[in-house]
Amino acid sequence: MAAGPYNYSYIFKYIIIGDMGVGKSCLLHQFTEKKFMADCPHTIGVEFGTRIIEVASQKIKLQIWDTAGQERFRAVTRSYYRGAAGALMVYDITRRSTYNHLSSWLTDARNLTNPNTVIFLIGNKCDLDAQRDVTYEEAKQFAEENGLMFLECSAKTGENVEDAFLDTAKKIYQNIQDGSLDLNAAESGVQHKPATPRNPINTDQPPNKEGCAC
Amino acid sequence: MDTIVKENIDPKDLKSFEVLYIEQQRRGYVSEKTQFDYAWCLVRSRYISDMHKGIELLKDLLRSAKDDLSKRDYLYYIAIGFVRIKEYESALEYTEAIQKIEPENKQAKELQSYIKQKLKSDGLIGMAIVGGAALAVGGIIGATVAAMRKKKSNQ
Repeated sequence: MAAGPYNYSYIFKYIIIGDMGVGKSCLLHQFTEKKFMADCPHTIGVEFGTRIIEVASQKIKLQIWDTAGQERFRAVTRSYYRGAAGALMVYDITRRSTYNHLSSWLTDARNLTNPNTVIFLIGNKCDLDAQRDVTYEEAKQFAEENGLMFLECSAKTGENVEDAFLDTAKKIYQNIQDGSLDLNAAESGVQHKPATPRNPINTDQPPNKEGCAC
Repeated sequence: MDTIVKENIDPKDLKSFEVLYIEQQRRGYVSEKTQFDYAWCLVRSRYISDMHKGIELLKDLLRSAKDDLSKRDYLYYIAIGFVRIKEYESALEYTEAIQKIEPENKQAKELQSYIKQKLKSDGLIGMAIVGGAALAVGGIIGATVAAMRKKKSNQ
């Protein structure tokens, strides 16, 4: 990691999970590149993307791990859940089976992250309303029952994609502000990076120290 | 790509997949999935000997792979393994093999350009070393010639 002051104040770690073919990589691509990837092949293992966003005038770097949905990768991708501040759990509104598997994904997310991890449910492919197999109301109710945030999105048109990633960050930031997320706790999924050194002269510790407890 | 290539596995995770592998080995049958899980973890270990072992296990899976999707996955992680042990030429061969299966695979393309960049910068460093040596030799010759001339003019 480069030394010196950062151009962001926080790093939030995200994971994207869900069945194969629900559009996880396309959502990531739409968010980081503002483009839709047509005919995107199934992800091998994990992919990684970043973007700097702004919440309450604070620059936040999102480090996003996009996991493969193939069953073959399920066991090992679990090791990427650890230390996630946000988890985007995706299903495809046109394929009921991807919605039915949510409870299993949710169990993994709950068991492998910390209690403060913000879990955001995304019903992707909302541009294909004619082929809809899961109603908005049903998914909304599932989200409420399980304390999840929820939006229907389209990685193709870009609808609500930005909001899903940003609302997750706002919620994490709010948790930091009200003290429910302890930055010093191991695996909080958040790192604080002071944009400018607080005390540039007479400081014993470098201000950019990894995982500093400021 | 740098993050994907340089990311190390938590030793505890490696250990848990190793236990499963050894247990199956002891029973005389290792499933494809167990071998893959263990190999994928080995490739992401911080120890070079583990990375080599991971590559070997993946090559073994590749030989008996039945479908293109699994072949592609094994090829990709063999390539990652070779990048991690800095055998870039071999890594490049494996990314090319992925492209024979999926010509437009974004992950393979990104890995390939990452490897080419590494080869290029390694090449430049190599040239700098050779160039530096040439300069040094040139300097010695130059100094000798200058000294000889000086000697001559003094005579």
